[in-house]
Amino acid sequence: MKFTFKGGIHPYEGKELTEDKEVKEYLPKGDMVYPLSQHIGAPAKPVVKKGDRVLVGQLIAEAGGFVSANIHSSVSGTVKVIENRLTSSGSKVNSIVIENDGQFESVDFAANAIDKPLEELTKEEILDAIKAAGVVGMGGAGFPTHVKLSPKEPDKIDTIIVNASECEPYLTSDYRRIMDEADKVIGGLEIVLTMFPGAKGIIGIEDNKPKAIKLLKEKLADKENIVVNALKTKYPEGAERQLIYANTGRYINSKMLPADAGCIVHNVDTVYAIYEAVREGRPLIDRLVTVSGDAIEEPTNFVVKTGTSYKELIEAAGGFKGTPEKIIAGGPMMGKAIYELDLPATKSSSAILLMSKDEVAEYEESPCIRCGRCVDVCPGRVMPNALANAVERDDIDTFMSLNGMECCECGCCSYVCPAKRHLTQTIAGARKLVLASRKK
Amino acid sequence: MEEMNLKISASPHVRSKATTSDIMFDVILALVPATAFGIYQFGFSAGVLVAVCILTAVLAEMIYQKAMHKKVTIGDYSAVVTGLLLALNLPPTLPWWMAMVGTIFAIIVVKQLFGGLGQNFMNPALAGRCFLVLSFGSYMTRFVLDGVTQATPLANLRNGLPINIKDMFLGYTAGTIGETSALALLVGAAYLLIKRVISPKIPLIYIGTLAICVAIYAATKDYNVVDYTLAHLCGGGLMLGAWFMATDYVTSPITAWGKVIFGVTLGLLTFVLRIFGGTPEGVSYAIIISNLLVPLIEKVTAPKSFGYGAEVSKEEKKAAKAEAKAAKEAENAEADEKSAQIAEAENNDEKPVKKFDAKSFVNAIVVLFAITLVMGAALGVVNNVTKEPIAKTKQEAKETAYKNVFPTAAKVATSDTVDYASINDVVHQLGYPSVDIDELAVALDSSGALAGYVVTATTSEGYGGDIQVIVGVSVDGTVQGVDFLTINETVGFGLNAKEPEFKDQFVGKKVLTFEYTKTGATKDSQIDAISGATITTSAVVDAINAAVMIVNLLGGV
Repeated sequence: MKFTFKGGIHPYEGKELTEDKEVKEYLPKGDMVYPLSQHIGAPAKPVVKKGDRVLVGQLIAEAGGFVSANIHSSVSGTVKVIENRLTSSGSKVNSIVIENDGQFESVDFAANAIDKPLEELTKEEILDAIKAAGVVGMGGAGFPTHVKLSPKEPDKIDTIIVNASECEPYLTSDYRRIMDEADKVIGGLEIVLTMFPGAKGIIGIEDNKPKAIKLLKEKLADKENIVVNALKTKYPEGAERQLIYANTGRYINSKMLPADAGCIVHNVDTVYAIYEAVREGRPLIDRLVTVSGDAIEEPTNFVVKTGTSYKELIEAAGGFKGTPEKIIAGGPMMGKAIYELDLPATKSSSAILLMSKDEVAEYEESPCIRCGRCVDVCPGRVMPNALANAVERDDIDTFMSLNGMECCECGCCSYVCPAKRHLTQTIAGARKLVLASRKK
Repeated sequence: MEEMNLKISASPHVRSKATTSDIMFDVILALVPATAFGIYQFGFSAGVLVAVCILTAVLAEMIYQKAMHKKVTIGDYSAVVTGLLLALNLPPTLPWWMAMVGTIFAIIVVKQLFGGLGQNFMNPALAGRCFLVLSFGSYMTRFVLDGVTQATPLANLRNGLPINIKDMFLGYTAGTIGETSALALLVGAAYLLIKRVISPKIPLIYIGTLAICVAIYAATKDYNVVDYTLAHLCGGGLMLGAWFMATDYVTSPITAWGKVIFGVTLGLLTFVLRIFGGTPEGVSYAIIISNLLVPLIEKVTAPKSFGYGAEVSKEEKKAAKAEAKAAKEAENAEADEKSAQIAEAENNDEKPVKKFDAKSFVNAIVVLFAITLVMGAALGVVNNVTKEPIAKTKQEAKETAYKNVFPTAAKVATSDTVDYASINDVVHQLGYPSVDIDELAVALDSSGALAGYVVTATTSEGYGGDIQVIVGVSVDGTVQGVDFLTINETVGFGLNAKEPEFKDQFVGKKVLTFEYTKTGATKDSQIDAISGATITTSAVVDAINAAVMIVNLLGGV
């Protein structure tokens, strides 16, 4: 059986730019910006005020509710101001700005480390450690991890999937994490598995990373409860619902949670962060960020302290090669185009891509010729052309009856469309309107 | 950092290289083998038609869009594709201005008036072809190969005449410019498949369905099943229609199951139209009728969304069914008000999502099948009911004509052994290339002795298409009478050939060749031309001359 789903596309991968390069740690120099809302849920509440001195790893904002996450300083320095700052999401978010003193004076993490054997760890200990460390989903959405690990019916969870597919083009940070820190990644997964006795661990990884698959298989040779599934290389193999289907044959729709299929899905960097939180007492204050594209001198993966400005990362990667026409926060399929470089890296910043050419602007939209390619590639199996047509004539009823809400905005339809219609954008816009009207 | 002009747009930020014009260009490339073969086979006039259609299509689209202040989109090559496809569906002898009219109809009426590219409800090229068939029937059904008017292979097949499968596959048969060579078309189709421009689903299901139907039909009729089926597959524009017109994105279903239904519908319709319909080819009509069903087909075959049961295995389905049944039973058991209320509350909790409805799917298939069946049956009945009377009327008309043109003959007999091909070779070589001898019957007197011949000849040079003349000639070469079996000339002009003033001029004359004059006949061999209808006169005189010549050759004069 081949682990995959129906649909999907094969865009240019661009992974060769960074995949075999050594990861560099970047020590920031300038001011650090910590948006209070870099996760899904309530914004965190600041626990420091202007003028306070903070250390590396010190809590500066605490979770503002159950679905929220702690935020820690990643440098030592002084709180400069708490104000609205632009983030890569495009909106201004209340943020704590810390003047970096360049000392990197740290709190003692080891004091919080739990050094018990696996079988003696309790659920509460683990959850508390994760919660304290402010771990959130690092694949992009930023869903607080301790919430994900507290399903309504924990007995029904029988599969923990580590999403190592990394199907977004250009991104190699998860791959580097596995190659460099496989033990900690596996360790993180093992910690999660202890919370759900009897559950099986699956590391799902696209088969364009044979070295990582080999490495993981070697390390897991004597572990019965964890398997490595080599997934077919295809975008969006790492989309949560498609990933669950590819690995377990179970399916969920947009109204369900992975827990409804007995699954919990974590990103590679997230399980790594879980390991560090539990075993080393380290809060989530850094992550791997891929800086890549054809308009950057030296594409590199950096260990980036959260709060670091994109500007500094681009300079660290040798600066521009030529003039970039488009800069993307995240991958080229689902990332956001940014127009300003003084933005902070957050817990869910996976990449900065600099493109010398904007493929979107190159083409003009033309009428749909009904070639059906969007329908063929849609992993959510809706009809993007029909949905976009419905939206264009303001027909939300038809949009809903065609299961428009099942769109995961992966971008496959826009990618393949020969008429270059902005299908994903149109459908995503309608989804936002529907969701907003539900909240009212 | 220097000033930057960064572009902003919603994700995704990468695009595949394929564009609409690339796809159209691929289709044009794929049609090159068939077009080239058509021009090679049918000569210069075919090339002219192809050029006229393409140019007209592009110009019509451009002028319309300019006039309507729309963006001119001829750069997407879709007009070129329409023009080329229409040209390939035309007989090579069609006057260029008719091709132009058809193309303008296709582009303006079928495509642009309905909203342009992507909005047309039927294939514009085929709609254009059908428009021409209805408007200029005789021109659209006259097929010439090597200068000789011929029936298409499927017409021959229908009339029980021999056909050559190899010639049909290679394309050495009469037909429209692009339909004759199945080989050339398949080469193009292979290109489209390799480039993934088309999916093989619709064509294969279409061809497969037709093949099965035809094979079963052939078996019930004791025909040679293999030859009969192959002839149906190679002939009648099936390859052109199945690979290049039925796969037209705009007018075929997008959904996977929709493609299946569409293919089956096409196969059934084509079978019904070919076997029971009025013409031996049915592809054009089958496709445009099926085009109209596409919205319905798509509606019932909308794909099941991810997570709505599309991936359920059979066992899971069974389990779910059993569970649902158990739940229902339990509910029935304690059917008190409370549980009913709870159930109601639960139901209201989540709005039922429109799921793939197996029932409506089956319904649609049944309805489509029924439509096909009823249409087929209706055509069949009409054909059967009218077949005998038509044949009878035709026979009677012929008998009357024999009498008219050879009043002294007691009996006119035909023979099966006449080698018309050789006779026509002679006729064509001796100066009458546009006249075909259709029948050579023997006229006998009351004693049973040979009195003369009754010759039926067709000339393609008429003003309104073919003219079929029947001429009685006695053994010594004297014309006994002239009549017309088919004549579509202009009323008041060419049609006056039927008047005695004209046709009786030939009677009783014994000359080797007639000639027409506009200045008043002074000799036996001269015939007064019909006023204002020189073309008709010339055609008729040629046909009669050919008939007389044949009799003279037979009589040894």
